[in-house]
Amino acid sequence: MDALLSLRVSGGYSGKPGVMRDLALELREREILGLVGQSGCGKSTLALAILKLLHLKGGKVEGSIRLKGRELMALGEREMRALRGSEIGLVLQSPMSSLNPALRIGTQLEEAWRVHRRGTHEECRRALLERLENVSLPAEPGFLKRYPSQLSVGQAQRVLIAMAVLHRPALLIADEPTSALDLITQSEILQLFASVRRQFGMTILYISHDLLSVATISDRMAVMHQGEIVECRPTAEIFREPAHPYTQELIRALPVVPQLAAAAGK
Amino acid sequence: MKWARIMAIAFLLVVSAASLLANFVAPASYAHQFRDVPDAAPSRQHLLGTDDLGRDRFSRVLYGTRVSLLLAPAAALLASVLAALVGGIAGFVGGWVERCVMAATDLFLSLPWLFLLITVRALLPLNVSPVTSVVITFALLGCLGWAGAARVVCADARALSQSDFVLLARASGSAGIRLLWHHLVPNLKPVLYAQFWISVPVFMIAEANLGILGLGVAEPLPSWGSLLRELESFSTISGQPWQFVPLILLIVVVSSFHLVLTQEELPV
Repeated sequence: MDALLSLRVSGGYSGKPGVMRDLALELREREILGLVGQSGCGKSTLALAILKLLHLKGGKVEGSIRLKGRELMALGEREMRALRGSEIGLVLQSPMSSLNPALRIGTQLEEAWRVHRRGTHEECRRALLERLENVSLPAEPGFLKRYPSQLSVGQAQRVLIAMAVLHRPALLIADEPTSALDLITQSEILQLFASVRRQFGMTILYISHDLLSVATISDRMAVMHQGEIVECRPTAEIFREPAHPYTQELIRALPVVPQLAAAAGK
Repeated sequence: MKWARIMAIAFLLVVSAASLLANFVAPASYAHQFRDVPDAAPSRQHLLGTDDLGRDRFSRVLYGTRVSLLLAPAAALLASVLAALVGGIAGFVGGWVERCVMAATDLFLSLPWLFLLITVRALLPLNVSPVTSVVITFALLGCLGWAGAARVVCADARALSQSDFVLLARASGSAGIRLLWHHLVPNLKPVLYAQFWISVPVFMIAEANLGILGLGVAEPLPSWGSLLRELESFSTISGQPWQFVPLILLIVVVSSFHLVLTQEELPV
C-alpha cells in the first residue's frame, strides 16, 4: 500500500523541549494505525503538529510532514485551513468539551460544512442528515435542534465523528477518542471507527494510551517513548513478540495479555 | 432575601411603568410653569409641590426618571458593545495584541473615572439643546465606561479561545472572523449580559453626578441629576423634606438593581 502520510519531525514547547525527537512515522492508505504511549509522552502534540496547530498551545515543530506527497510544512496558513477538515479530520478526547455548548448540533455541523462548501440550505441539511445516519445517529431534523447538553456522551462522540468525516477527509486523527467513555460505549465507538474506515476508505491515526482499544481496532501499532517511535509493526506481531523493552513493559502491564497473545498466535 | 428580591423587582417595574407612561400619569408637562405658585408645598394639585420656577415637581420626577431609566441602559449597551469589541478581539487574538490592548485598558482604568468624565464633558459644548445634551451625556458615559467590562470580556475570550471546541473548529478549517462570530460571540453573551446589567446602576449614578455639577442633561429637560441640583442649598431645603424624593428614588432604584443582580441568576 502507498503511504498517505509520512513524517519525520522534532518539536516541543518552550518550557518542555524535545517532546518529539526526530519522530518518524508512515501511515498507509486505508489503514488504522494505533499510536500508543504513556500519558504525556507527546501523542497529542503529534496530532496537533500534523494539523499545524501546535503553535496554539505554545509549541513548535520542525521537520517534514507529507500528506499525499504534499509537504505540509511548506504550506501557508491559508492553504492549511483549506486542508483542515477537508483532507484531515480530528476527533478529540472529551466529546462534551469539544462541542460548543452555546450552539445547537445542527448549527455546529452546518458551520463545519460551510467552511469548505457553498450550497443551499437544503443541500447542507441533506449532507448533515446523511452523515448522522453514517454514524448511527437519528437522521432527523429534531436531532439537529438539540444542544450538546441534551446528548449522552456516546451520542456527543458520534456527533464529533460525523463532524470529522463530513467532507470525507483522507486522514482522520482520533486523539484518545474513547478514554472518556464507559466500556460499552467505548466498544460501540471502536466499531464505528471501523465502519467509518469501510464506508469512506479513510486512513485513521488512532491515538490512545489504552492498549486494549488499540489492539481491537488497529492494523498496525506504533509505540511512542521519550519522543521517538520505538516500534511500529502489525498489531498482532507486536503483541506476540514485543521487541523494545518499553513495549514489553507496556504489554506486561496488561492483565489480559496471555489471551491476546494466544489469539494473535492462532 | 427572596422577598427582598421580589419587592425590588416589583418596585423597578412600577417605577419603570410610571416613568414610561409619564405622558399620561404626570399631571403636567415637565416644562409647564405654574407661575402663581412657585416653591409651593405639596398639595392635591402638586403632589411634591413646585420648584422655584413653578414647575410641578412630581411631573418632573416622572419625566426625569424616564430619561435616566431609558438612557442609562443605552449607555450600558454602548459600553458593552465597545467592551465586546476591544476585550473580545484582544482575548481572541492573544499574544502582543492582547498585551498592548490590555495595557491601554489598564491605563484607562487607572484614571479617576469621575474626574475624567467631568473633564471630558466640560471640554464639550455646554450650551446645547436638551436632546443634544442627553445624547452627549450618555454617549460619553458609554464611551468612557467600557474599560472594566473589556477586561472581564478579554479574560473570558482568552479562556474560550483555548477551549477544545475552538480547537476543533480550527481543526475543521474555521478561522478569523468566522470563528470569532460563530464560536466565541455566542459564548461571550452571558458575561456581556452581566456586564450590561452591572453598568446600568453605575451609569445612573454617574449621570446624577454630572447633573449635580450642571454638566448633565440640559434644562428644561429633567433627569435625576438635574433634579438633585435643587439639593445644593441645604438651608433652603431643610424645611422642605419632599425635595429629597429624587435622591431617595435614586438610592432605592440603584439598591433594587443591586438586589436583583446579586442573585445567582442574572436576567439573561
